[in-house]
Amino acid sequence: MEAFQEIYLNLSKKHGVARFAESGWGWKPSGGGDTFTLDQAQIMQTQWSRAARGYELKMLTRTDGVIQLDGFQQEDFERISKLFKIWYGINVEHREHSLRGWNWGKAEFGKAELSFMVANRPAFEIPYTEVSNTNLAGKNEVAVDFSVPADGDDTGTNGHLGGARARGKKSSGARDQLVEMRFYVPGTASRKEKKEDGED
Amino acid sequence: SLNGTEEKKFKRFEAYKRDNQFPNKVKDLEIVVDKKNLTVVLPIMGRPVPFHIHTIKNASHTPEGDFTSLRINFLSPGQGVGRKDDQPFEDPTAHFIRSLTFRSHDIDRIDDITRDITELKKEVVRREQEKKQMED
Repeated sequence: MEAFQEIYLNLSKKHGVARFAESGWGWKPSGGGDTFTLDQAQIMQTQWSRAARGYELKMLTRTDGVIQLDGFQQEDFERISKLFKIWYGINVEHREHSLRGWNWGKAEFGKAELSFMVANRPAFEIPYTEVSNTNLAGKNEVAVDFSVPADGDDTGTNGHLGGARARGKKSSGARDQLVEMRFYVPGTASRKEKKEDGED
Repeated sequence: SLNGTEEKKFKRFEAYKRDNQFPNKVKDLEIVVDKKNLTVVLPIMGRPVPFHIHTIKNASHTPEGDFTSLRINFLSPGQGVGRKDDQPFEDPTAHFIRSLTFRSHDIDRIDDITRDITELKKEVVRREQEKKQMED
């Protein structure tokens, strides 16, 4: 068993203890409450990267979408990558994010999330489960909405799991909650009327 | 030069080189204006995401009851105010983030953030104009 203290599950407001064993892992809120558990067979892919709260272990799961555990120390990586390899047979991918501060790049659609790539590195990711609505807001403009319930119970877990968030509620885990993102997507259809021949 | 008018050139910029340069306050999952590095750090799904002041067009917030909505507009193609869009872009065929809206209950703090962004933007534009005048 490997335990890590002060870990946040899916952007929970309170931290808890994450315990890893051969069969899977669990997260127990420090203030008491139900324990969240995940069977190791659920884990498809795992990434390690810098988050707002320390370092983050992000797992793509078979049926639970993207699960985030934040609050790790940089030096935890060695223990984490070792236990994932030995117990789960999974390589923890070290993912470095773009720090350039640019607002242009490429929106890439992966299995479970959208990654906004800046100079070939992700600047951020949006799990599809967190998107409540999208619409064409104008010519070449796409709006993506995130739901943030107005009432106090904005976790979707009825106070269980120590404030951990159910799917679709991650955005309200922050003090400043992202509610809308608009993209400019250049139009290419009208400009490509003339077909260029002779190129392969 | 094109048609006798001088073509504006895009100048590269970078918010941070390493992730240990983030201000400490990003851990609170709130918006942080890092004046020293001319960067605004925004919390997006638990990640601190830097946006250099050069990418920001403006910021404004609208209080509604016990919360406020902060909208940050970014520079992107096709939104020039004049007849011609003369804002230079490194890659106009890229996807751009055009705006981000955040909701917060900390109305006073968001008010400060809005003012900080607006002033930082003004300051950077003023410095650039000064530099240009010196070059002329």
